[in-house]
Amino acid sequence: MANDDIDVVIVGSGFAGALIANELAKQGKRVVILEAGGKIPTDINDYMGRFYKASAKVPEAPYTPAIFDADGQFSPELNNPATVPAGRPTVMTLGADAWSNPQKSYLVQQQKREDGQPGTPFASTYERVAGGTSHWLGTSLRLVPNDFRMKTLYGKSEPDFVDWPIGYDDLVDWYGKAEAELGVSADAEDQKFLGIFFSRNFPAYPMPRIPESLTDGAIRRALKNLSPTETAFLGMKSPPTEISVRGLPAARNSQPYRNRRACAGNTNCIPICPIQAKYDPTITLNDALNHRNVTMMTHTVASEVVVDGNGRVSEIKYIRYSVDTDIKTKTLQNLQRVEGSIKAKIFVLAANAIETARLLLMSKNDALPNKTVANRSGMVGRHLMDHPYYVAWGVAKEQVFPYRGPLITSGIGDLCDGPFRDKRGAFRMDIGNEGWNFVIAGGAVGADPDVTAIDFLNGVNRSGLNTDGNTGNGLFGQSLITALNSTFSHQFRVGFLVEQTPDPHNRVTLSDETDGLGLQRPKLAYNISPYAKRGIVAAKQMQDLLFRKMGATEKKFDFTTVAKDDPTQFDAQVGGKSVTLNYMGAGHIMGTYRMGTDPTQSVVDSFQRSHDHDNLYLVGSGTFPTGGTANPTLTIAALALRTAERIAKRV
Amino acid sequence: MIKLDREEPTRAVPDTLDRSLYLTRRTVLAGAAAATAAVTIGTEPADALAPLSDDMVAFKNLSAALTGISADKLAPVTDALELKQDYFTWVMDRKPDQFKALLQIAKANPTALQTIVDQSQANGDAKFLARSIVLMWYLGAWYEPDDLKRLVAARSAEQSLFISHTVISSKAYTQGWLWRVIQAHPMGYSDMQFGYWTRKPEPIEDFISRTSPKGT
Repeated sequence: MANDDIDVVIVGSGFAGALIANELAKQGKRVVILEAGGKIPTDINDYMGRFYKASAKVPEAPYTPAIFDADGQFSPELNNPATVPAGRPTVMTLGADAWSNPQKSYLVQQQKREDGQPGTPFASTYERVAGGTSHWLGTSLRLVPNDFRMKTLYGKSEPDFVDWPIGYDDLVDWYGKAEAELGVSADAEDQKFLGIFFSRNFPAYPMPRIPESLTDGAIRRALKNLSPTETAFLGMKSPPTEISVRGLPAARNSQPYRNRRACAGNTNCIPICPIQAKYDPTITLNDALNHRNVTMMTHTVASEVVVDGNGRVSEIKYIRYSVDTDIKTKTLQNLQRVEGSIKAKIFVLAANAIETARLLLMSKNDALPNKTVANRSGMVGRHLMDHPYYVAWGVAKEQVFPYRGPLITSGIGDLCDGPFRDKRGAFRMDIGNEGWNFVIAGGAVGADPDVTAIDFLNGVNRSGLNTDGNTGNGLFGQSLITALNSTFSHQFRVGFLVEQTPDPHNRVTLSDETDGLGLQRPKLAYNISPYAKRGIVAAKQMQDLLFRKMGATEKKFDFTTVAKDDPTQFDAQVGGKSVTLNYMGAGHIMGTYRMGTDPTQSVVDSFQRSHDHDNLYLVGSGTFPTGGTANPTLTIAALALRTAERIAKRV
Repeated sequence: MIKLDREEPTRAVPDTLDRSLYLTRRTVLAGAAAATAAVTIGTEPADALAPLSDDMVAFKNLSAALTGISADKLAPVTDALELKQDYFTWVMDRKPDQFKALLQIAKANPTALQTIVDQSQANGDAKFLARSIVLMWYLGAWYEPDDLKRLVAARSAEQSLFISHTVISSKAYTQGWLWRVIQAHPMGYSDMQFGYWTRKPEPIEDFISRTSPKGT
C-alpha cells in the first residue's frame, strides 16, 4: 500500500485495535496496523508447547518474546529489559527483589511517588502479540449504570472521582454489538441487577450461560440465609438477607460459535485456551487481515506521533526491528533496526494504557502545550488505575472438586454499588475453579498442585494442609493417593476486584532507563488510596462472612496468608483486630488518557478523539475516567466499535 | 483448527468395555488388527512387543510401589508415549548410583510393593530420589532430590522455602498422574466435554485405572 493511500494507521493489535481494524476493513477502508510484537503463529502449538514446558505457568508463559529458556526456566538474560527490543512486564518480575529494580523489571517502578507518598507495585502485566488481553480470562461484564456517575453520586468525600461524559444508555447498544463480536455466554435475566438493562436490538446474549461449578454451588448455598446484622458492614441501602451468586458473562463459547468450539473446561483460560473456545483478539485480527485492504507490520514499534503546524497528526515514526532469540544459549543476537514513518488520514493509538501514554510522552513537540502531543490538559499518564485484587482461599466442608471447568464460572456483582461508595471502594467477587493453583501460601513457594503434593510426599507442610504429617516421612502408594485426593477436592478460592480512585499521582512518565531499541521505558508511580484500602477491608469482612457460612468450625478452614516479603501488604483494622492484607494485579490497566467534556481535565472526548488533534484517536481502557469493578474488556470493545463507526464516516 | 501435540482418544470403544482398553489414535494407525485383538481378548498380542530389560521391569515395579498407580497403567504393554524410557534415562543420567540402589531393591522384591517403599525410605542416600521419581510420574517434572532433602531439613524453621523444578517435556506435563489422582485433568490439557464441571467426577478408580491420561 502506498503511503498516501492509507486511510487509518492503528498502533497496537489488541482488543481495541483489532476491532477497529476489522470494522474499517468491512467498509473498505485502507488500514495499516503497527504491532510492536511478533506475528500470530499459524499453529497454536507454538504457544502451547511453550506453556507446557514453562516451570511457572504465569500469564505470559505462552507468548513472545519468550521469557523462559529451553529448559522452561525463567531467564534473566532473555528478560534483560535494557536489551529486549519491545519488552513487557511479567509476573516473574513482580517479586520483592525485582519490582522496583529496573535491571530486572521492564516497568521502572518507583518506591516513592512525586507527592512523597510511598510507591507500591503496579501488579498487572501485558503482552505484545495481539494485545495485553491475549491472556485474559474472558470475563465480559458491563459496567453498572452508576459506575458512569461517580462524581455526581459519590464525589463529596472523594474529590478525585469524575463522571464519564457518556452514560450506560449511550453504550447499551454497543455493549450488545461487542457481545456479539466476542461471543459472550450469559443469561440476560440473570444479569439484570443494579440497573443493568438490555436494548431492544440486543435483548439477549449470543449464547446461553456457562453452567456453574460445584464450588459456585457451595458458595451460593452458603449465602442464601443471612441476617441483617451479618451484612450490615456492607453499607448497602438495606442489609441483604441473601446474596446472589450469578453466572459470570464470558467470551467463552457455551455452544459452537463462529467456527470455534464450545468450552471443554481445560481450566486454563489464563493464560491460554488450547481449543480457542475463549475469544481472544487474534480472532478479530485474523478476520481483519483477511481483507486485502488491511495489513499489519509486526516487530514495528511506534516511536513518535508527529503533529504539523495545523495541529493535525501528519505521520507516525516507527522502528522496525528483528532479533534472533536463542532460548538455548539465552541470548539475543543480531539486532537489526530500520527507522521509518507512515502517513494516513486518521491515526489510532491502541497500545494499552501504559504504552499509549508512553508513546504520547515520547512525542515531544515544543509548539504544543506541555510540549507533548495530546497533552494540553497535562493529564496524559495520570490516573493510572487497576482493580486491586484481594484473594482468599480455604478448605470447604464438602468436596468441591476444583481444577475442573473454566477458571471462573460465577461471581457476586450485586454488592458493587450502594451508598457505601462515598466511603469505601466497591468490590466484585469472583469464584475460582482452580483450587489453590496460584494462591497457595501467598505465592511464595510456587504453585499447586505441586506444593501440596510435595507436602504429603515429602513430609513437610508449606501448604498448611499437612499439619499432622510434617515429620519428614512422606506418604507413598495408596496412602499418598488417598491423602491427596481428599485434600485437593476441598480446596477453593475467591477473589475481590476493588475500585480505586483516579489519583493524579498514580502516574506513567518516561524513565531514563531505555529498552533494546534505545527508547525510554515507562516509569510508574503508584499506590492504592485509603478509599481502595477500605474497600479491601470490606472484602476481607465479606470473606470472613462467607468462610464462616461455608466452613466447619471445629477445623481450620481459612488458609489465607500474606507472604512475608510481599511488597503490596499493608496493615488494617478489621473488626477491632489488626490484620495484614495485600493486593494483586487484575491486569486491568486503566485511566491514563481519560475521556471527558472539559479539555483542561481530560485527554479525549467520548468518541476517544483527542481534544487537541482532530485526526488522533486514543482508545482502550486508558480512556476510562473511573474504573468501576467490572473487568474492562467489554467496555473497551463497546467503545472501540462506537469509535470505529465514527472514524468510518470520516474517511 | 487447533492441533495439539498429543493423541486424541478414539471414540471407537463402547462405554461398556473396560476403560483401560481405550486406545490412542497412534495405536490404531499402527495396526488396526492389533487393536481389534486387544479389545476382543483384553491383552496386547505378545509379538508386537520387545521384551523389557530387567532394569526396566524393576523401574516399573519401583514406580508402581512408590506412586500407587499400577505398573501396567504407568507403562502399558503397548506404550505409545514411552515415558518410562524418558524417565529412566533422565534419572540414570543424573543419579546413577542411587538409582541403581533403588532398582536393586525392586529386583529383590518383585511382588512386595510395601517392602520396596520401606526399603527405599530406609536408604538415606536414595530416599529423596525415590520421592523425585514419584513427582516425575505425578507432575512430569523433575525436582532435585537435594532440594526435597533441604525442605525436610528446614521444615520446622522455614516454611516458605521455594524450590524450583524442570518440566521434563510437554508430553510429560500432559501425562501427569496427580491430575487423575485428584479426579481432574492437567490444566490446559483435557478432553472432557462442555459442562462436566457441574457434576461430581466419576469415581477415582475411573481416573487411575485407565491408560488414557485424561479423566471423564
